[in-house]
Amino acid sequence: MTIELQRPVGDPIVLDDPGRHSFRVDRRAYTDEDVAARELTRIFDRCWLYVGHESEVPGPGSYVARDVGGRPVVMARGSDGVIRVFANSCTHRGALICSQPAGQVRSFRCPYHDWTFSNQGDLVGVPIPDGYGPGFRKADFGLARHRSDTYRGFVFVTFDPQQPLTLTEYLAGATEYLDLVDDQSEAGMEVIRGAQLHGAQANWKLMMENSVDIYHFRALHKRYVTYMESLGSVPPRRRGGFGRALGLGHGANELPPAAARPLAYWTPMFGAEVRPRIEATAARFVDRFGPERAQRITGTNRALLVFPNLMIIDAIAITIRKIDPVGAGRMAITSVALAPRDEDPDIRELRKSHYLTFLGPAGFATPDDIEIIESCQRGYLNRTVRYSDLSRGMNKEVPETTDELPAREFWRQWDRLMHGDDGHHVEAAHPGGAHGTGPR
Amino acid sequence: MTIELSVDEAAQVRLWHRVSQFLFREARLLDEWRLREWYDEMLTDDVRYAVPATDVRDGTTDALGLVDDDAARLRQRIEQLLNDEVWCENPRSRTNRMIGNVEILADRGTHLDVAANVVVHRFGHGRSDAYVGKYRFELVVAGESFRVRRRVVVLDHETLYEHGKLSIIL
Ligand code: FES
Ligand SMILES: [Fe+2]
Repeated sequence: MTIELQRPVGDPIVLDDPGRHSFRVDRRAYTDEDVAARELTRIFDRCWLYVGHESEVPGPGSYVARDVGGRPVVMARGSDGVIRVFANSCTHRGALICSQPAGQVRSFRCPYHDWTFSNQGDLVGVPIPDGYGPGFRKADFGLARHRSDTYRGFVFVTFDPQQPLTLTEYLAGATEYLDLVDDQSEAGMEVIRGAQLHGAQANWKLMMENSVDIYHFRALHKRYVTYMESLGSVPPRRRGGFGRALGLGHGANELPPAAARPLAYWTPMFGAEVRPRIEATAARFVDRFGPERAQRITGTNRALLVFPNLMIIDAIAITIRKIDPVGAGRMAITSVALAPRDEDPDIRELRKSHYLTFLGPAGFATPDDIEIIESCQRGYLNRTVRYSDLSRGMNKEVPETTDELPAREFWRQWDRLMHGDDGHHVEAAHPGGAHGTGPR
Repeated sequence: MTIELSVDEAAQVRLWHRVSQFLFREARLLDEWRLREWYDEMLTDDVRYAVPATDVRDGTTDALGLVDDDAARLRQRIEQLLNDEVWCENPRSRTNRMIGNVEILADRGTHLDVAANVVVHRFGHGRSDAYVGKYRFELVVAGESFRVRRRVVVLDHETLYEHGKLSIIL
């Protein structure tokens, strides 16, 4: 496989020079179709990729059909209660066995020739079976099952049977943050119905960078900052916090809340009526976890990047954002809100309302993010300016949230995977990622 | 040839005409970025403006949508747009709202339930987008005219993948 290991496009793309506090990315990374094609085989065909949340398939036979890493898949809970991820392609001649985005079935019936598969993936029905010889065995034609696993309710898949890491190993330091999300309800977390399905005419990595970039907040989101300040919130810089590299390409920002959190951090912007309920929840968290961890769960905002294409933003609401490349210059974005399953209805309404103020294609912030990364993509058309700079915070022991450490962690893993190193080893994490292992 | 209308029919035609004129005027004010006028003159104090998620078609209210503005947040949206604080609407996009199939679904005395189809064309920043959807309005009768109390835009798109964002008021 020497051809596979060749560099696809000449010169190095990521220029990482910690000694000089310099970190540059060649803009071909965002524009070159060869790079984009190689990402599919080197990254999306190998990494563990987020599929969905187990609450999206709550009962036996419930399923969702979606694209993951450019491939149509079905995540289904079988009648036996087990969540499996299948190739959404009939083993006969290939049609999608599932054309609805979601539903609940005992079996999947392929519309082409009516082959029928149980919700556990077994081929159970073949019309006019006398057309097949004695060597034909239904057992050989079950739906192709992908290797999948769940961590704290988050379901991932890998298309690489040789992927040496278990999901938990792959998630590395990101598990700490997924725990902080899933610990928010004893009854379990659930995805709220209603996805924000949108996109951008820009390279997918620009959205990943943007999602862990707090440096742009005051500049680009001035209108949101103004609005939130009018409600009594504090802008990021004055709140402090820090950025972290979590190993294997994952990164996070963590900082005190801007305003309020519907889970258990009340401020006047939520109104006096819900105050006792929110404060009672806060007290329950202290009982359950002790004051320190309770404070971290309920009184801290965080943005988690799980390499390559998942963002979980846990602030005034919790967003799960899955970002899928479509060639070099486009992406599809799926955003949903996650919330405690047993949430008080009034507080659920507050959560949804504040989610919409900031997030989604019509929020007071996300449209500007979309526009600005599209603007970057257009700017790259002038190839005279060859590099983007992502060096902020390399001069610091503990980078702030307004620095670019999580993005660098992303790019270092990207570089390892794109350039032959299998990137599977935790030890391979760059020295710059060392903060990820320290205490907060 | 003249067509004789019964008294009832004539009243219905007049009502339909007034409703249509109201919707057309609303579209024109929005197209001309006369958003404060629109807000002050055409909406009630307890207006609700909502755009449901494109993957929720059953009208359920517990789902998360794309927009769910009460009067205060809609006012905020308008001020941001008019103060050129919305980066992706600065310079302002050009819009063209085409309204058709105006239908009075129910006359409830104090208010009307009105349906219409709408296509909002948006041009700006080198792009052209079309938002296709259905208007569901609750119009409160105010003298000879109306005020909008509920304004729901149900998009027919499966996703906003092409558009990326929804930075204008539909
Ligand atoms: S392709 Fe599915 S039954 Fe033939
Ligand atoms: Fe942003």
